[in-house]
Amino acid sequence: MAIINQSTKELQVKIVYYGPAMGGKTTNLVQVHDHVQTQAGNKGKLVSLATSSDRTLFFDFLPIEAMTIKGFKTKFQLYTVPGQVIYNTTRQLVLRGVDGIVFVADSQYEKMPENVESFQNLVDNLASLKLNIADIPYILQYNKRDLPNAAPVEYMEYLLNNSEVQVPSFTATAHKCEGVFESLNMITRLLLQKFINQSTAPHA
Amino acid sequence: MATLPQLIEEDTRRLDDALREFIGQTDATAALIIDKGGFLIAHQGDASQFDVTTIGALASGAFMANQTIAGLVNETNFNSVYQQGEKSSMLVVNIDEHCLLIVIFSASIGVGIMRYFASGTIRKIAAQMAVARNRNPGGGYDLSVLNIADSESLFRKKE
Repeated sequence: MAIINQSTKELQVKIVYYGPAMGGKTTNLVQVHDHVQTQAGNKGKLVSLATSSDRTLFFDFLPIEAMTIKGFKTKFQLYTVPGQVIYNTTRQLVLRGVDGIVFVADSQYEKMPENVESFQNLVDNLASLKLNIADIPYILQYNKRDLPNAAPVEYMEYLLNNSEVQVPSFTATAHKCEGVFESLNMITRLLLQKFINQSTAPHA
Repeated sequence: MATLPQLIEEDTRRLDDALREFIGQTDATAALIIDKGGFLIAHQGDASQFDVTTIGALASGAFMANQTIAGLVNETNFNSVYQQGEKSSMLVVNIDEHCLLIVIFSASIGVGIMRYFASGTIRKIAAQMAVARNRNPGGGYDLSVLNIADSESLFRKKE
């Protein structure tokens, strides 16, 4: 849950990159870290809790201060979850306090079952935190579009973007930084739009 | 979905006062209040030498992971994590359902004094956070002037 500190004029929001193992979640954060334009000191260190073979063990974490809105510094905390099935408890921990989600799907044909399983796992883990995916802003990123065995986007939409209200989706080749900023900016827009709706909704 | 929690000047002042008092009682190096989602809420002491944002994110994850482990061994009374160092030690204590207190202190000081004074400090912090949450539970922050269609105001990629 985002925190607004009226005293220090800060708005803090948490975005989690979710998806199957080896889908490119960490690569997204690395590309944001390497390529984002910020004023000096506004980009924190990218922290990775990874195994010796660079597989995410707990999470990756990147704090960025992006913009000032009405005098409020907006601080984004970007997290990834470990994609491997055995780390489900860890994924639940990282999802705590989430404001927005980028679901990074692997476009390779043979990864479709893992994509679907991971998305259902996201829904289940949110439910365990008493959250409904319909209430959380999220977008879909179809990564690894440069691979020859990439499935058609329409097929991935059919598999993953089939709820009543479709969410924004982006194609990406994260290791070339293609689609990375488009995804991040869209989830940021959805988040801010949600805050606006909350702030303008009539209160009981 | 609950609305956004907000802290006003009075909340921050009281939280800072509680942390300052704690540091005066214990000679701790720094004390932080974080949300269990990893957000830094307040800090006092000589925190300039530390990356408190990252410490907040990692300490939150470590506490929650240890709490889950405790649950797996049927331990329900879990409320703190203590990391003993050679130079600096760290104690993470549960405040309430949403927040944690992190204390960084010299390894030459015993953890007992930290635990003793932390119990009073977390009561004060929990009370103030409850006041903040209950002050205006339906309130929000007016972001309506933001033009979110303007992508230039968001993240930009270096050319």
